[in-house]
Amino acid sequence: MDISFGPELESFRAEVAAFLDCAPTPDIREAGRKTTSVFAPFESVMAWQKILHAKGWVAPGWPAQYGGTGWSVEQRYIFAEEYFKRDLPPLLPNGLQMVGPLLIDLGSEEQKAKYLPGILSGEDYWTQGYSEPNAGSDLAALSCAAVADGDDYIINGQKIWTTLAHKANRMFMLVRTSTEGKKQQGITFLLLDRTDYPGMEIRPIIGLDGIPEQCEVFFDNVRVPQTARVGAENDGWSVAKALLRHERGGSAGSPAMYRKLELIRVTAQGTPSPFGGMVADDPVFQRDIGELEADIASHAAFEKLVISGHPLSHDPAMPSMNKVMSSELAQRVSVLMTRVAGTEALPLQLEALNIGSNVAALGQELELVAMPYYLNSRATTIYAGTNEVQRDLIARTLPAA
Amino acid sequence: MDFSFTPEQDMLRDSLGKLLAQTYSFDQRQALLKSGAARSEPVWQALGEMGLLALPFAESDGGLGGQPSDLVACGLVMGRHLVAEPWLASVLLGGKALALGGARAQPLLADVIAGNAQVALAHEERHGIGPVTAMGTTLTLNGDAVQLDGEKKLVLGGAEANALIVSARAGDKLALVRVDPSAPGVAVTGYSMIDGRRAATVRFEHVIIPAAQVMRDDAEAALDAVIENALLTLSAEAVGAMGALLEMTGSYAATRKQFGVPIGSFQAMAHRLADMKIAWAKAQALLLYTTALIEAGQASPRDVALLKAQMGRLGRAVGESAVQVHGGIGMTDELAVGHYLKRLLAIEAMLGSTDYHLRRVGAR
Ligand SMILES: Cc1cc2nc3c(=O)[nH]c(=O)nc-3n(C[C@H](O)[C@H](O)[C@H](O)COP(=O)(O)OP(=O)(O)OC[C@H]3O[C@@H](n4cnc5c(N)ncnc54)[C@H](O)[C@@H]3O)c2cc1C
Repeated sequence: MDISFGPELESFRAEVAAFLDCAPTPDIREAGRKTTSVFAPFESVMAWQKILHAKGWVAPGWPAQYGGTGWSVEQRYIFAEEYFKRDLPPLLPNGLQMVGPLLIDLGSEEQKAKYLPGILSGEDYWTQGYSEPNAGSDLAALSCAAVADGDDYIINGQKIWTTLAHKANRMFMLVRTSTEGKKQQGITFLLLDRTDYPGMEIRPIIGLDGIPEQCEVFFDNVRVPQTARVGAENDGWSVAKALLRHERGGSAGSPAMYRKLELIRVTAQGTPSPFGGMVADDPVFQRDIGELEADIASHAAFEKLVISGHPLSHDPAMPSMNKVMSSELAQRVSVLMTRVAGTEALPLQLEALNIGSNVAALGQELELVAMPYYLNSRATTIYAGTNEVQRDLIARTLPAA
Repeated sequence: MDFSFTPEQDMLRDSLGKLLAQTYSFDQRQALLKSGAARSEPVWQALGEMGLLALPFAESDGGLGGQPSDLVACGLVMGRHLVAEPWLASVLLGGKALALGGARAQPLLADVIAGNAQVALAHEERHGIGPVTAMGTTLTLNGDAVQLDGEKKLVLGGAEANALIVSARAGDKLALVRVDPSAPGVAVTGYSMIDGRRAATVRFEHVIIPAAQVMRDDAEAALDAVIENALLTLSAEAVGAMGALLEMTGSYAATRKQFGVPIGSFQAMAHRLADMKIAWAKAQALLLYTTALIEAGQASPRDVALLKAQMGRLGRAVGESAVQVHGGIGMTDELAVGHYLKRLLAIEAMLGSTDYHLRRVGAR
């Protein structure tokens, strides 16, 4: 066992801090402070990705040969800590944490050469086209079909909940290529070079917070080349499963949670309590935020073990455990935020949340973001596989199941 | 003991339900809110014709002398339909506070009852509600007049009000003053709430008010009674909203299929639905029991605090579960589910949060 916090790490921290202090534009900082879901405001965060890419710091989790940073686990944590301390917008996950790592694992050399540079630079944004109206938890029931035609596939059907499809220029998707045998066996994984192919239509869906983030995507005889396929035809399910491990596991989410906890504390110091004094001095608040911090600390330790390659990282339940823990912690953080914001969380302030709108918030910044963050956090136990389904998966790794 | 509504109350519920089914369907409500209007004129007028704007006022004030149980009967229906009309704002809070002025409340109170004017109660502050000693808004003598300073939050219907009834600390007492929103030094910032209601932040800076506009200089108990009535009605709204969510979610779970079967057949879903039903039953029971206590003049402040706290906790639990059972579709603005959750969250936060009321109960 070994944790090294040597002096060279402190100089690494100083280097990171120096860069993060001056590289982000005011617009990027504003977007970070006004991030109210896992998806930061699109234009600003993509601009930030380009800056980080130029510095070579865009993909700490990737192998160095593909553009990763080659940092140690300690360094990755220090980077994340310094990053979130400054409320910078988290980079969007679909390219860097999902399709990118997948292509590194399973893509052809051509696909890697063609797609990885755009994923790293932020030139491309990939939307995830899996779910359909009748294929949510039962994803393998998907029916959006691709039929081979010469060198192409012709796609017909519908996707839904396709996050940021209206902003993306590329899409990775699952299609049905066979209806024979088990339903998992007739699925194929495709990479779409465009989201504006003839016959494709994208309709945004407005969320609980009043902002469109998810979309419906319709396919009417959309023709794409068969070279778009990852893996073999009808073997898309195992490709998707490999990707899911990246989507659900191996993250460094706890530094962002610690930061939110800190913002809650600071806001509570300036928020009067009906019992006199400030909310931060209220023993009930202190006990509750203490309990939450303890659970975040457990999660942080779990994440570190996983990233360091401890046997826990090979536990078949690891991705699902990580998903359940992180999603439910995010929800609890968001609830505490709304508790501290109190009635100040109730005004609807869509304009003030817009980056660059110059519309002042009615109250403090935390009070502006608390409610949309809470509302969006309700989705964390639904997307990437609902927590009910995750608990089933975890249970299956135990002898009783 | 009998916790059922009277035949008259059943008729009132029935006709209010019919009116709202015709004029306040979810789609009609959403269109209304989108239009930016602070209320629906036809619905407001119809509520007036049904007597709802007069309901809680004494007959001597031109009202119908309604009982707490009448308000609960209406609140249940209002909650089910997610009504965003300023009934709570202008009748139960503003109007009832105005009526504390006795004869001086007229002729404005008559206009409120007729639906021609709105009044708002400006009471909550940044810390919510609490003892007089915690109140930041002050009323001080200034020559022959008085001076009002401070900031009020979440003033329901504040930007639409013809008059504001403002609570303020005068020495160690709670005073109520009537303030013209256009008076110098009054700044009203109106906004829409997440649940569709309208509210405002109101700042008072050196607002000079004729002494005659001080309605009462020791109004704490009287104002508590107004708030108790409003909390009871708000609690009825919460139970109405929970009931609607339970029905909606139950039928969704029965029809939505995944893995070839209705999702309600998965034990995790079935247990969640069972917990929602238990929560709704607890909420309804406590609501009706507390209503009966209040009507019998037997309710203590603790009973009301307890009711509010439970509505906050149970309402949030039911709302969050409803979203979870619906999955992705529960996260959309198109479905009523999220709007019920937002209504329940707003109820939880206003007029004293769950934390506030629970601590009052626990401290004895
Ligand atoms: C904000 C957000 C972003 C999303 N982004 C994307 C995206 O970018 N791309 C994409 O493809 N999809 C995306 N999704 C879709 C997401 O993956 C689905 O919502 C999810 O898989 C659940 O499917 P469903 O919504 O159809 O719910 P359903 O599957 O209908 O589930 C409804 C309820 O039934 C429960 N349930 C279902 N099966 C079982 C079971 N076997 N046992 C116990 N309970 C069960 C669920 O847990 C849930 O509570 C997103 C969803 C959200 C909310």
